[in-house]
Amino acid sequence: MLTFIEMEFLKLKRSKIFLLSLIGAILPPLLMFIAVLSFDEAQSFDKLFANVNMYMSAVFGVLLFAIIISYLFGREYNEHTLKTMLTIPISRSKFLINKYIMFLIWILILTVVTSISTVIFGVIAGLDGFSINLFISRFGELLYSNILLFLTFSPFVFVSLFITNMVPAMIGGATLTLVNLMVYGQNWASFVPWISPYLIASGEIAKYSTSPMTSYCVILVTFVTGFIISHIYFTKTDLKI
Amino acid sequence: MADYIIKTTNLTKKYSKNPVVNSINMHVEKGKIYGLLGKNGAGKTTTMRMLLNLTYPTSGEIFLFGKDTKNYSKEIYSKTGSIIEIPGFYENLTAYENLKIISKLRGNYNPHDITLVLEMVNLENDKSKKFKDFSLGMKQRLGIAAAVMHSPQLLILDEPINGLDPFGIKEIRTLLKRLSHEYGITILISSHILSEIENIADTIGFMDNGILIEEMSKEELYNRLDKYVEFEVSDTNLAIKLLEETGLNENRDFSANDGNIFLYSHLELRDKFNELFVKFGIKVKKVNLCEENLEDFFTRWISYN
Repeated sequence: MLTFIEMEFLKLKRSKIFLLSLIGAILPPLLMFIAVLSFDEAQSFDKLFANVNMYMSAVFGVLLFAIIISYLFGREYNEHTLKTMLTIPISRSKFLINKYIMFLIWILILTVVTSISTVIFGVIAGLDGFSINLFISRFGELLYSNILLFLTFSPFVFVSLFITNMVPAMIGGATLTLVNLMVYGQNWASFVPWISPYLIASGEIAKYSTSPMTSYCVILVTFVTGFIISHIYFTKTDLKI
Repeated sequence: MADYIIKTTNLTKKYSKNPVVNSINMHVEKGKIYGLLGKNGAGKTTTMRMLLNLTYPTSGEIFLFGKDTKNYSKEIYSKTGSIIEIPGFYENLTAYENLKIISKLRGNYNPHDITLVLEMVNLENDKSKKFKDFSLGMKQRLGIAAAVMHSPQLLILDEPINGLDPFGIKEIRTLLKRLSHEYGITILISSHILSEIENIADTIGFMDNGILIEEMSKEELYNRLDKYVEFEVSDTNLAIKLLEETGLNENRDFSANDGNIFLYSHLELRDKFNELFVKFGIKVKKVNLCEENLEDFFTRWISYN
């Protein structure tokens, strides 16, 4: 598994998408920084962290993760490398699982980048109230949210295997971002898999009438369903290239 | 009994009930080069994809190295190298990095081996060039390097000379012959270019419309090629008349056109016919014993079957 992950990173060498994803991870802190300077938003580090976490895991993250997952799987089809990989040989199940792990690691990297850049922008903006405890707490919150969000992306794996270009993922990601914006604050938001991670991690789930367990179940069902259909599709059907 | 490295039993692939590969029984002997010959769309690539587990058969069985591919896939494919259609590599990576990924995942990474294999396909000076900047010929050569890098016992190559210039084709042909004859590697190679298969293969399998029409050794093939004698004569009409008087039938035993007589039967009597022509004042400018070429044979064979 370690070799596979090491090689996944080698595949990203000179790849623009990795750099773009890092820029995407910096974007929420950057926008919040601009908001602080322009609109007197978020006068403390705690508020800045809270806003960044919300925009990252409920808005930008959804679109960004959809693009990443589509790239991770789609490029193997589009660059005709899947037939090379599978005849090495690597079992289709292992290949799929290792790709999931790579996706998770990529998300963890973006989480670190977002949190560290938030600190940097907060310092540049001269905000008060920074402490290591605050950083650990808010980083943990974003990390937890992004890990739960990762689980909700297994249906996107199937979409990426079924339609191998990035357009459906971008449309899907943009649609879910809009859905998240529309349902945020609504009673049934806790039933939507792609905003539930933020609601759970931030503690906002307490404001809703449903129990957190309902949201956990929604996330789990989404993950299991997506994983099973992507696994069946990938292991039981002919390679399209 | 021959030792078969590849053996299929009634191998079939259907798409929406239409068979693209129809119950083929293929036999590839150890250490031999087997050329799979067929038009575009004959089912060659689908057959090779099934052999490599990239496409699942609708029915039938595949045995590689005498073992069922369903149950021994890891063991079998670690001894196999392949190219299916256009070789697939990561465009943002160099030739060396692409080969590194493959060898690392195979668990036999050795920088020296990569350098050697790049030298073998004449890409040693391009090892730091990105794959996206490669020409089609260079991509094919890198594909061959990746296929042979782990010293496989079996190579499955689908149209590996596509995109190569004549010099490159000759190089690859020499390399494949060397791999087979010096190292005993069994090679299954497909092509729609008849001359290429004729040049390289020990055994040829003819495929058309998903059916493996026949497998034959090159010697057997040459024995089956039709032979004929061509006379270039000064008086065609008189030559026809003389041949008919000996009991030969135009169109069945011979044909004529534009000062030429083509004799298809009684070839052993060609010197007698020559004497006959000369005796009756026909100037015979040329007598050639000709052999049907592989293209004509293939066309005739496909039409017949």
